[in-house]
Amino acid sequence: MILKGKNVVITGCLQGIGKSSMEYFASQGANIWACALAPNDGYEDFCKELARNNGVFVKPVYFNLLNNDEIKSAVKSIQSDKLPVEGLVNIAGMAKDALFNMVSMDTLKNIFEINFFSQIYFTQFITKLMLRNGKGSIVFVSSISALDGNVGQLAYSSSKAALIGAMRTMSKELASKGIRVNAVAPGVINTDMNRIVPSEVINDKIKKMDIKRLGEAEEVAKTLAYLISDISDYVTGQVLRIDGGIR
Amino acid sequence: MMTTRLLEGKNAIITGCARGMGNKMLEIFAANGANIWACARAQNNLLETQLRKLSEEHQVIIKPVYFDLTDYDQMKVAVKQIMSDKRPINILINNAGITYNALFQMSTIEQIRNTLEVNFLAPYIFTQYIIKLMLRNGGGNIVNIASTAGQDGNSGRSVYGASKAAVICATAALSEELGNKGIRANCIAPGITRTDMLNSMTEEVIQETINNTDIKRLGKTDDIANAALFLASDLSSYITGQVLRVDGCLQ
Repeated sequence: MILKGKNVVITGCLQGIGKSSMEYFASQGANIWACALAPNDGYEDFCKELARNNGVFVKPVYFNLLNNDEIKSAVKSIQSDKLPVEGLVNIAGMAKDALFNMVSMDTLKNIFEINFFSQIYFTQFITKLMLRNGKGSIVFVSSISALDGNVGQLAYSSSKAALIGAMRTMSKELASKGIRVNAVAPGVINTDMNRIVPSEVINDKIKKMDIKRLGEAEEVAKTLAYLISDISDYVTGQVLRIDGGIR
Repeated sequence: MMTTRLLEGKNAIITGCARGMGNKMLEIFAANGANIWACARAQNNLLETQLRKLSEEHQVIIKPVYFDLTDYDQMKVAVKQIMSDKRPINILINNAGITYNALFQMSTIEQIRNTLEVNFLAPYIFTQYIIKLMLRNGGGNIVNIASTAGQDGNSGRSVYGASKAAVICATAALSEELGNKGIRANCIAPGITRTDMLNSMTEEVIQETINNTDIKRLGKTDDIANAALFLASDLSSYITGQVLRVDGCLQ
């Protein structure tokens, strides 16, 4: 179990990659602060079951990334458990597609607020907690569209690219203090976010992959587990593409 | 609770097992439940003692396979030996390699040929043989040990870096050609790692390189072996054609 006893904060836990990460991290022995906007049906039962089945601590933490006060009280709630925070996986994010000339400034600002500013704000608080133990690992979930560009994803791709810039700088500032910072760039993953994409577009993407299929959320979760675990102790400042070799 | 071993029941070939990173991979792969063909250049009693110990401790099959990478007749015999075990080959780690430090203007044709031969041509041909066997079982997983020098281009490393850049390029091409046949292929690019290879560098250069990493320390063989474990296991099942830098963020 590569995460045995590790205490990890995961955001965006309600569905998709976040939910899969909770499941995989718990199966690997991690204790989890499972952050979400608000509980949906069955979420708290899911957390309890995960804790019971794996003999780990799983605590739901709710906050709206657009609300700084809620972020602060979430951090206090995490702190109050008096466990050293050793991992942070920033998964929560949002996409809103529009062609470059059609993107409204409101949309752009809103996407950046959620995908970039508030994540950095939250991560500042969590990093402060990590620095007390002198060890930690932070992973941002970026996207291949941040690296490659993607038609219709001006706002999303640029907000995810901003995370990569932040990640590289954070690695420079924090790695010598024991905190590693990395990002993953998932390709086309079989989640709700991609279920709205027309099937021609998806099939076109699959043709461009070495592995001719969509990725599964669990496959992203496993790479996140690697980057949070101690077996990646010398990996920092990197972006790992989890994309089936898309070209 | 049961401890899950990441390579339980998988069969792996690792080259360059006698020392350094390859030797550490041997330990970590065995501890994770892999059966191993441990390749080394020449018969080695110390290695064989270690293999027996690891095999017993972790309840896995480990066999030594000896061949000189640049001797294609020996390589063929080695492939036959591996085939004769009649076990599917799931993983190939091309780890064996040599280092060569020389300024561009000082690099000799013999050394350029030799470095390309050992670091690129030989693993290329060996991989061709092994992939043929892998395809019989519906696929496999290739991990090539490249180097950050193969991406960055460093002073004194034109030849070595070029040999590793060639590996990186071939790996990506291989991934595209055979991804739909169940073959994944990735590279690890170690940065500056504590092995015998460092003996070719002055203490001053080593210190300077450490200062150029975010993490301010040398890599350990464990770091590289664990990255190989990640790429060889199902943890990375949707990752192919990539280069994973295990370098403490060296610039």
